[in-house]
Amino acid sequence: MVPRSRKPACVDSRAAVLVGTDDGPVVVPGKPETSALIAAIRHEGEYPMPSKEPKLADDDIAALAEWVQRGLPWPEDAAPIPVKPSPETVAENHWSLQPLASPAIPAVRDTDWPKTSVDRFILAKLEEHALAPAADADRRALIRRATFDLIGLPPSPEEVEAFVNDRSSQAFAIVVDRLLASPRYGERWGRHWLDLARYSDTAGDSADFPVPDAWRYRNYVIDAFNHDKPYDRFIREQLAGDLLPYDNTTDRAENIIATGFIALARRFGNGGQSGHLAIEDVIDTTSQSLLGLTVACARCHNHKFDPITTKDYYALYGIFDSTVFPFAGAELLPGPRNLVPLDADGKPSAEMIAALADLDRRRRTLGEERWNAQKLDGEEAQQKLAAINTKIEELRDDTEALFTRWPSRGQLAYAVSEGRPKDARVQIRGQPDKLGDQVPRRFLSILGGAPAAPKDRSGRLELAEAILDPKNPLTARVMANRLWQYHFGAGLVRTPSDFGLRGTPPTHPELLDFLATRFVADGWSIKTMHRLLMTSRVYQLSTVQSAEAARLDPANHLFGRFSLQRLDAEAVRDTLLALSGQLDETVPGPHPFPPERNWNFNQHDNFVADYPSRHRSVYLMQQRLRRNPVLAVFDGADTNATMAQRDETTTPLQALFLLNNPFVHEQAEAFGRRIYAAAATDDARIAQAYAWAFGRLPAPEESASCDEFLRVFRDRRGADPTTEDQVWAAFARVLFGSNELIYLN
Amino acid sequence: MVCGSLLFPGILSQVLADESPARSDDPLAPKRPHYPGKAKRVIFLYMSGGVSHVEAFDPKPKLFSDHGKTITVKGKPQHMKQPNWKSRRYGKSGTAVSDLFPHIGGCIDDICLIRSMVTGHNDHIQATLGLHTGSFTVPRPSIGSWVSYGLGTENRNLPSFMVLAPHLPYSGQNVWSANFLPGIHAGTRVVPGPVPLADLEPDDLTGGSQDLELGLMRFINRRHLAASAQAPALATRIQSFETAFRMQQTAPDVFDLSRESDATLALYGLQRGQNTGFGWQCLVARRLSERGVRFVELIDSGANRNWDSHDNMQDHEPLARNVDQAIAGLLRDLKARGMMDDTLVVWATEFGRTPFVEQLSFRGREHHERGFSCWLAGAGVKPGYVHGATDEHGIDAVDRRVHVHDFHATILHLLGFDHERLTYRHAGRDYRLTDVEGHIVRDLLA
Repeated sequence: MVPRSRKPACVDSRAAVLVGTDDGPVVVPGKPETSALIAAIRHEGEYPMPSKEPKLADDDIAALAEWVQRGLPWPEDAAPIPVKPSPETVAENHWSLQPLASPAIPAVRDTDWPKTSVDRFILAKLEEHALAPAADADRRALIRRATFDLIGLPPSPEEVEAFVNDRSSQAFAIVVDRLLASPRYGERWGRHWLDLARYSDTAGDSADFPVPDAWRYRNYVIDAFNHDKPYDRFIREQLAGDLLPYDNTTDRAENIIATGFIALARRFGNGGQSGHLAIEDVIDTTSQSLLGLTVACARCHNHKFDPITTKDYYALYGIFDSTVFPFAGAELLPGPRNLVPLDADGKPSAEMIAALADLDRRRRTLGEERWNAQKLDGEEAQQKLAAINTKIEELRDDTEALFTRWPSRGQLAYAVSEGRPKDARVQIRGQPDKLGDQVPRRFLSILGGAPAAPKDRSGRLELAEAILDPKNPLTARVMANRLWQYHFGAGLVRTPSDFGLRGTPPTHPELLDFLATRFVADGWSIKTMHRLLMTSRVYQLSTVQSAEAARLDPANHLFGRFSLQRLDAEAVRDTLLALSGQLDETVPGPHPFPPERNWNFNQHDNFVADYPSRHRSVYLMQQRLRRNPVLAVFDGADTNATMAQRDETTTPLQALFLLNNPFVHEQAEAFGRRIYAAAATDDARIAQAYAWAFGRLPAPEESASCDEFLRVFRDRRGADPTTEDQVWAAFARVLFGSNELIYLN
Repeated sequence: MVCGSLLFPGILSQVLADESPARSDDPLAPKRPHYPGKAKRVIFLYMSGGVSHVEAFDPKPKLFSDHGKTITVKGKPQHMKQPNWKSRRYGKSGTAVSDLFPHIGGCIDDICLIRSMVTGHNDHIQATLGLHTGSFTVPRPSIGSWVSYGLGTENRNLPSFMVLAPHLPYSGQNVWSANFLPGIHAGTRVVPGPVPLADLEPDDLTGGSQDLELGLMRFINRRHLAASAQAPALATRIQSFETAFRMQQTAPDVFDLSRESDATLALYGLQRGQNTGFGWQCLVARRLSERGVRFVELIDSGANRNWDSHDNMQDHEPLARNVDQAIAGLLRDLKARGMMDDTLVVWATEFGRTPFVEQLSFRGREHHERGFSCWLAGAGVKPGYVHGATDEHGIDAVDRRVHVHDFHATILHLLGFDHERLTYRHAGRDYRLTDVEGHIVRDLLA
């Protein structure tokens, strides 16, 4: 019943048998009676073996005992039994590690159908399976799809009509360009990246301390998408922005803020301890999001499936261990530390460093003293506690004074900086107090293992360059697949953050390489990729599938139709605000967190807050120990780990939310007033409401049903001055609850 | 209710009549486990903060006689500390229980007690997460979500996994999160008090017309469904509104204890009209279980003012008073109603408390992961049985240790699951509640 926390005994060579487990050898040559291995197979010891199979035959047990008695004879030329193929073999063969190919555009039988090269790849596969693609989507469905896809908001009725009536061949391309130029675009696509970056406004430690400067990184990401920052530069800045050359202080500030990608590591514990877990989070986030590899699996043992070793893990670990992380504060160590100044070349002065160190020391001592004093009885103890509390107040005053003096809070970023460069030692079984061999800092061995870090730097810049090395095929493939996935609802590789052996291979490998190659060739421009994908015919297909397609390809692996998509949590909330006319489209800055001197958060009283707003949902304050209640109802992002894909669940709580939640009622009342004011007759109002919500006019039978709803509602309420407000609010709620609003055709 | 309308002829009765069994593509449709399990549902009682095992279900006479004696723990001198409460033996089994829990003591012959628990972390957040998800670091699906995922539900008018918690526990909602499992398996939190479930009550001004809203919504959605691609999600969502509507009708009834007899209320130590306290939670748990809710978790306190008595062990007293009679009442009530045969009751805490203190003047005890107690009762477990033991001072679990992973494996087994096969594919691998650990503790099985 003891957890198997020890290194398993390996018995594939004599040497391995003699090494045994962390507890020592499992066999003592010549002494079967004291050998744990023999006790195990006799079912005498703590670990009966085999654990789930019947006991070995007596003869076999006797033979093994004799073998131990005779001193473990082992044929000298016996090679270790190969347990699994070597990493080199795997790397040679696994699809995702092959160099990017420039595949030929496939020939198709129906040459009239494809609009773009992308279409030819899809059609070729469909023809191979003798499946016909679905019909084209109607224009109303298409502009609605594209608008939610690119900006996460519904199209206005005017935009819909303009597109429907524009019969030029460029009509859709014009819509795409208009949407890409909207500042709302970055708020939608930046959010995809924030999912991958496990963005949060709190640290995730036991008390979930606020990170008041996190918003700068959030806005940086949104701006990067809006300005179509080349993806290679985007990655370089996020991993090593502080080490990049810069033209001016604005550039420098932006570069530093970008490293929030690393700095926003999840934190553990209550006193800033467990830094090894924060680094694990960075390695996990970086490797999954950028490379599609689950490197963090190799923290305690070599990766079970992929050719990634613990040495690989600790080679990367050393890079982040040579990096200084900012710190929001924690229960036993309140007060932020290691924030990075954004002014010109502002580096902390020696005086500042000394003052900060002094504060830290006092904080630690007082924390401990208070912890112990609380446990004592009597008047003396009470006096002692009071004295400690006074000192803590003084400490708060001094901290505040220091931060007021230099530099002002507004000029600080939650970003990383260079620490003392050092190689890390392997942590045996992932335990930081059990150290093994030292590993030089370097990149993953399956990807060349190359750039050993220079002695005087952490190696983050070299890591970024290795990730972006043209010889590394993963970075471009992984991002090309993500872009496809966000547009089409599923990737060509359906495990978007696992391109390893346990991931699923691509359904269209040639198309994936075509896209990845184009992505790099077009200067890593994400907006160019949007145009490429969206102007394809395959993006513009209907969601209606033939019976044949439903039978042969129910999960739409061949992309012969467009997959129905539910709006994500942000789009649901933003759409309600947009329909109610209450959406605030300005870009907010910091959250209204309480002042730092009042931060007495601890594991008993976590930081918990909601800051109601009418801004877009990407700007809502999001915590780690508690999900934002509105976003959580609709499967919002988990802020605790990098996230490649949102869930699409359907729960009665979502329905209850739409029926009864005060926020929804507020929006329904505002939307109701807007509908009422829009026209003079019920039919005209219903038509306008349909245009706003669904981008179309109601069919006669729908109008009739809505009319009847209004009539019965009014009959029931009777003459009352609030009846019209209520009836239109109720009508608005019906539209809020309709599938046509929340599902994209 | 509504008349004179072609579109809305008695919408309410129509919606309520739709209690047909869940569809087979519905993630909450009742499912068969791997093999017939004795337990059909679980009531999980979680005491937050770390109950002192030597002052609860693992009394140690030696701690009295050795009070003040010095021992070395992890290279540091420590002093044995005697419990604040004496103990006595109960029932036919003669098992000793602390005087803090006289009512539960009286039920000891129905309890399968484990005195050799060990866990994977010595701090609240991690140990709480570990107890609920099997993961001591990053959040994973809660045990209740796993059970919902594995068994579905028998009552679509209520969520399959419900949590009655007055305050957020350590690690917050992660404790009942579905995490990577489909969100429909997430725990639905009920807050004892006047508003147990959020958004359950229709607005006063519009409440009377909600059937009309549902009626028009159903018309619009069905018309849309007919014109759309075959998409189970669309139909499920139409259903979800109807379930929500029914929840508004049925859930308040669950929380309405007015028709419980005086005798039942007294059994749980409840005053008539009382809607807080562990007695209320226990009685509501029975009512939820009766109605087919698959997994009900009760959290007695939260991340604050809980069993974490570092300062003074006497703080255990009001906490024990809150739960003792209530839990005994629940066990007796379930037994009287014949529900003990297929309901598994679990009593758990994230770790124990040190039998020793650093200075003898310390009145409280610290966290202790190396040996503590949890217990099971009801479906499929041995009644009146004590499993394993800590050493004579209650420091280390020495006999037949049960790790939290083993505890989980055993609970899943009782529900009919092979814990190694109840898996969900996520982020490139199959995950399970017990991670890569866990052995069924067969000695506990009846």
